[in-house]
Amino acid sequence: MTSWIRLTAPAAVVASMASPAGAVQYLSIAQAQKQAFPSATSFAAIDGRAWKAQAGSQVLGVFVVDHVIGKHLYIDYAVALDTGGRVQRVEILQYRESYGGEVKENSWLSQFVGKTSGSALKVDRDIRNISGATLSSHHVTEGVKRVLAAYGSRAR
Amino acid sequence: MSIRTGVCVGGTKRRRAFPALIAAASILTASNGTAGAAEDASSASGAQASTDALMKKLQAMEQRIKSLESQLKKQQPAEPGRAAKPAASNTAGLESGVRAQAAGETPGKTASQAPGKAAGQASPKAPADPGMQPKKPILGLLDSPVEGLAFGAYGEVKYGAFRNPDAGGKWQNGFDAHRLVLLPTYAITPNIIFNAEIELEHGGIAFDADDKRHGSAEIEQMFVDFKIADQFNWRAPGIDLVPIGFINQRHEPTQFYSVNRPEIYNGLIPSTFMVPSSSIYGRLMDGLSYQIQISTSIEDFGSGFDLRSDANGVLAGGYAPGITGLSALHDSRPVVGDFRQLSNTMAYAGKLDFRPSFLPGFAGSVSGYFSPNVTPRGAFGDFGNTLGRASLGIFDAEFRYRVPDTGLELRGEYAQVFLGKPENMRANNDTDPTNNVGKTMYAASGEIAYHFPLGTILNSEWEAVPFYRYTYENLQTSGFAGTDANTPTGAGQLQFHTLGIAVFPSPKLVLKATYQKVINRDPAGAQSDSFLGGLGFFF
Repeated sequence: MTSWIRLTAPAAVVASMASPAGAVQYLSIAQAQKQAFPSATSFAAIDGRAWKAQAGSQVLGVFVVDHVIGKHLYIDYAVALDTGGRVQRVEILQYRESYGGEVKENSWLSQFVGKTSGSALKVDRDIRNISGATLSSHHVTEGVKRVLAAYGSRAR
Repeated sequence: MSIRTGVCVGGTKRRRAFPALIAAASILTASNGTAGAAEDASSASGAQASTDALMKKLQAMEQRIKSLESQLKKQQPAEPGRAAKPAASNTAGLESGVRAQAAGETPGKTASQAPGKAAGQASPKAPADPGMQPKKPILGLLDSPVEGLAFGAYGEVKYGAFRNPDAGGKWQNGFDAHRLVLLPTYAITPNIIFNAEIELEHGGIAFDADDKRHGSAEIEQMFVDFKIADQFNWRAPGIDLVPIGFINQRHEPTQFYSVNRPEIYNGLIPSTFMVPSSSIYGRLMDGLSYQIQISTSIEDFGSGFDLRSDANGVLAGGYAPGITGLSALHDSRPVVGDFRQLSNTMAYAGKLDFRPSFLPGFAGSVSGYFSPNVTPRGAFGDFGNTLGRASLGIFDAEFRYRVPDTGLELRGEYAQVFLGKPENMRANNDTDPTNNVGKTMYAASGEIAYHFPLGTILNSEWEAVPFYRYTYENLQTSGFAGTDANTPTGAGQLQFHTLGIAVFPSPKLVLKATYQKVINRDPAGAQSDSFLGGLGFFF
């Protein structure tokens, strides 16, 4: 059992030092807003989870934060819509589960770019399934679809 | 979402208030008429004045009722078919979580702390948001009563006809409630996560003979993850799955198409291959992730606790091997409880998962496992010889490729076991000349499947996936050494033709039908063909 201690103690030390720094949060809302709309000068709250991105008086689009259940825990994600109601960017803000984190990857998230409330947004139809992360990929896809349904027309 | 919550909660109250108002108005109207009839004519002018006052009140109430009715009508289209109550804490959780996050707090911490507050902040100016309905953390049905706690489940039921090799290969019918697994997950903080799998197999267990239970109840996984950084996370010591192959870690029945797990995972990789272990894992870059695990070693011991000594060695008199040329590593998994492991040896496993961006739809992995010694304490051969150390390695490479914009899916896998010292394996020293092992065991499989959408049925989109898989296994290669005579029957050289269809009413549910032809080199034949149906779920 000494080998247990020898091998896991360093990781425990790292964990205990690092964990107070905060959750594995890939982007804060402010960071995600800035990435989605780099030229925006202000983000005016529409409601508790959506902001209108503006450069002066010019509206650039809408930024929405939402969450879905992945396998069992919440995935926080953000969707940026342009003024045409098209998805400009999707970002995973926080992923808590042990498996299925592949939904964070840009190569998968980039598939949502250009989608509108009229798009099918179905896994295996216009969005690729992620082998081994089926539930997360379905749920994030459903989440983006409902963001488009709720806010797609408000971006215009 | 709090706005919606407010609408729902408010709407509920108003719905309750509406009939109450009507009832009150009726009583007032009735009592007004009764009172009027009883009044003396001499007090007519006074009565007239009070009637006028009541009428004014009634008119005001009617006005109020109409106003409430119109408000209700406006609200109802915004939430078709939704129950008001369950939405409340979910949506409030999102709202408060988002606000907390914006304020630098963690949503997990605050998500369920202020549902009432968020509901109270609701404004009638809320935007209607059709479909904004997060999933429920408790089996997909309910909100969690405890912040951060979620329950999932998976399970599978199997039935059908099979050839029983122990009955001379006769076809028999049967049924198996193979497993029901509860999956509690608890986010102690947003980056310290508890995970477990509590499993009941084959209908469970019972102490009374007339209950006729022959299954098991077991902790299949139990660990705490410290999510430190995307690139580096720590899984604290617990019971976890060995990161080898694809199906061992993703073994829910919705992940594969046959009723039984793919053949490689029934021996060469002894799934569910769970071990006392600790690991680190993370994502190195987009499309490339890793896991490295240290665990208690598998053991070349296939008997029960009655043949383990209290000194944590093997008892004299003979014991079954954990690793054989007939069932591979099937019986070699280490004990996970009660400090009853049969050696001090630690094993090491590692896995690289890749999903190259230049090949969309492709996912694969390479993984390995190594134990410097699988021989249990006090191991012996039946000729009285002592069995020394014997190392064991496993290598696996697999891919899954869903060809973009088509229904075509291809899967392939290769697995090989390396035995360092066959002369020290119990199977080669147990006086059974048929179960011996050589220096390696290996298997290769290829699978082709096609996804056909079946359209919308019963409010969900169905999919049918016919498939065919071929697997070749050689569990008895050359390199035998030991005290046994070596006369294998050929039963360790196997071919599996597996053909079937999996119908997914939703990604969470699958109905399966599988025919499997098993061929081996034993002159008597494998006598293990089957035609099985199955139902699996994972949510």
